[in-house]
Amino acid sequence: MPLLGFEKETLLDLTVNVIPLGIILFFIGAFAVFNPFGLDPVFSGLQFSLMVSMFLLLAVLTYYAGRAIEGAEESAEHAAIEEPNATTGTLDDEAEESELESDDDELPEA
Amino acid sequence: MLTGLMAVLLVGIIAALTRIENWRSYTPLAGGGTATGEDAAVLNREKPAGLIRWLTTVDHKDIGLLYGLYGIIAFAVGGIMAMLIRVQLIVPGGAILGTSAYNSILTSHGITMLFLFGTPIIAAFANYFIPLLIGADDMAFPRINAIAFWLLPPAALLIWAGFFLAPVTENMIEPAQTAWTMYTPLSVEQANPGVDLMLLGLHLSGVAATMGAINFIATIFTERGDDVSWANLDIFSWTILTQSALILFAFPLLGSAIVMLLMDRNLATTFFAVEGGGPLLWQHLFWFFGHPEVYILVLPPMGLVSLILPKFSGRKLFGFKFVVYSTLAIGVLSFGVWAHHMFSTGMDPRLRASFMAVSLAIAIPSAVKTFNWITTMWNGRLRLTSPMLFCIGFVSNFIIGGVTGVFLAAIPVDLVLHDTYYVVGHFHYIVMGAIGFAVFAGIYYWFPVFTGRMYQRKLGKAHFWLSMIGTNLTFFAMLALGYLGMPRRYATYQFDGAIAPLAQVSTYHLLATVGAFILLVGQLIFVWNLVQSWLEGPKIEDGDPWNLERDGMLDKEWEWYDRKLETAITDGGEEEQSALTDGGQVADDGESDD
Repeated sequence: MPLLGFEKETLLDLTVNVIPLGIILFFIGAFAVFNPFGLDPVFSGLQFSLMVSMFLLLAVLTYYAGRAIEGAEESAEHAAIEEPNATTGTLDDEAEESELESDDDELPEA
Repeated sequence: MLTGLMAVLLVGIIAALTRIENWRSYTPLAGGGTATGEDAAVLNREKPAGLIRWLTTVDHKDIGLLYGLYGIIAFAVGGIMAMLIRVQLIVPGGAILGTSAYNSILTSHGITMLFLFGTPIIAAFANYFIPLLIGADDMAFPRINAIAFWLLPPAALLIWAGFFLAPVTENMIEPAQTAWTMYTPLSVEQANPGVDLMLLGLHLSGVAATMGAINFIATIFTERGDDVSWANLDIFSWTILTQSALILFAFPLLGSAIVMLLMDRNLATTFFAVEGGGPLLWQHLFWFFGHPEVYILVLPPMGLVSLILPKFSGRKLFGFKFVVYSTLAIGVLSFGVWAHHMFSTGMDPRLRASFMAVSLAIAIPSAVKTFNWITTMWNGRLRLTSPMLFCIGFVSNFIIGGVTGVFLAAIPVDLVLHDTYYVVGHFHYIVMGAIGFAVFAGIYYWFPVFTGRMYQRKLGKAHFWLSMIGTNLTFFAMLALGYLGMPRRYATYQFDGAIAPLAQVSTYHLLATVGAFILLVGQLIFVWNLVQSWLEGPKIEDGDPWNLERDGMLDKEWEWYDRKLETAITDGGEEEQSALTDGGQVADDGESDD
């Protein structure tokens, strides 16, 4: 099932940014539960707004970058279907993987 | 002494430029001659000859070369300053400089390397190759491109002004002694007008960087060729795009902060005075610019390595899109970590904790790239050419520089190591060991494109090994010095035996200086190789000197270069030996090189 409208391949690529998002989320939770310095409206507000704003900015940029790249890939695929001789984009992961496998076969012994 | 060296350097450059061609030769007339009546070779050239070409050019490639020349001159100046610093610290009492002179040299070394070498040398690659890589005719705004470059020479003169003016004004105007961070209240209270000149120069370089960034963003968004989309945009263009966005948000802020500092100094405003905004305000503003600046400097070199390393590994970059997304992640998060430079200022611990959280998060995208580079090499068909060696050196040094950075991101560790040589060692592993190495990789990789010749591979390898050994000796010794508690920025040092034995500290300083001399020898070889190969190196006759086509990795810039070679107007040139490349054009299997 597509999540947020992304294909599975794109979602896998986006996991790279999920990790820093997860770390920030962990600290947001940790500081909310365990806060040895107490709560202060100004400083605690700043503390959480810094982490939350970074989380949101990264999430939004990752989403739109994923959209832009996936969109460009789809249009490249459409073009390739309409014009069979057209070259595929360099980001075609499946092609990349199969090339890597065939590369391995050809490798000279180290 | 430094002033004299710089004067000789500048006069030498001007002399060399004027000798290249008679600059008056460019005034072509319809009849085929020239206005000066000289029978100069103008008509078979696509550009004006001599100095006029370089002063008037709006061609992105020429401007790229100008940036490159500028960057290398600044690298030489900053390098000489670094050598003076290292020689000074061999003995605890200081070997050659007075404390004022040391402070001046230290300040200018930092500013020169970051603003006059780092940013411009990246702009050199970006100007030359971004339009070629994305299939554009030129930059979106060629004239703004030229203006952005020509703001830099006056910027350098202003930043170094104190060195030139001190002898003629009887030290009325001295070089700035503020360190590159220009912390208040020190930078407000130093009456020396040299500080104002330095600030103006820095401001000018920021304007230049911002204009360049706008140009790159516009170029990458609007000037891409029909076959270049977001899905197949090359990795170097991605990093330049992200870097340009960072410049756009960071440098104007530095400019504003500099104007505020200038007003505090000259117009009695109180932005950074205790009764006004407070001295800590400067640190917040400076580091809000300063930390993104770190990524402004390191992202494009990461792009260079991501572009070059796969070429000599015989396989595509592993996880291309991981590298793209993590570059964007670094771009965003770099604006949320600035106060990790200020953990020991006594700021609120809750705030400090949140900066630690984001600083730890930003380590992930950098680490991801490192694994991508290593995995790209895994089971690859490695060719240890000079650019590849520098790429591998980059990865190695970046790991040490990066891991030490993760330690510093943790508040308890930082409180112990803050303001020690550990920090100096950490960021020099990045700026010299990583950024410098990627720049060298780029210069060697594209040397055939911008010179039409091949460099001397033995000298290239000597350069690499001396740089690798020198970097690690110098900066690892600094990490050890930091653990011993050696404070940074000091012109002389004394130690309480209970903290660390002085002899041990001196020994590490001596090791660092020995490493610096090894680095110096390496860079002399580099400059020699660059100049001699440019003038006399074997000419490249094929558009694929690295044998990239075999692996299907011949990028657009090489295709462009091949077309250029095929369509070149013959100049009736002399016979020259063909190129013995460093990449394996001669050998069939490409593994002749090592």
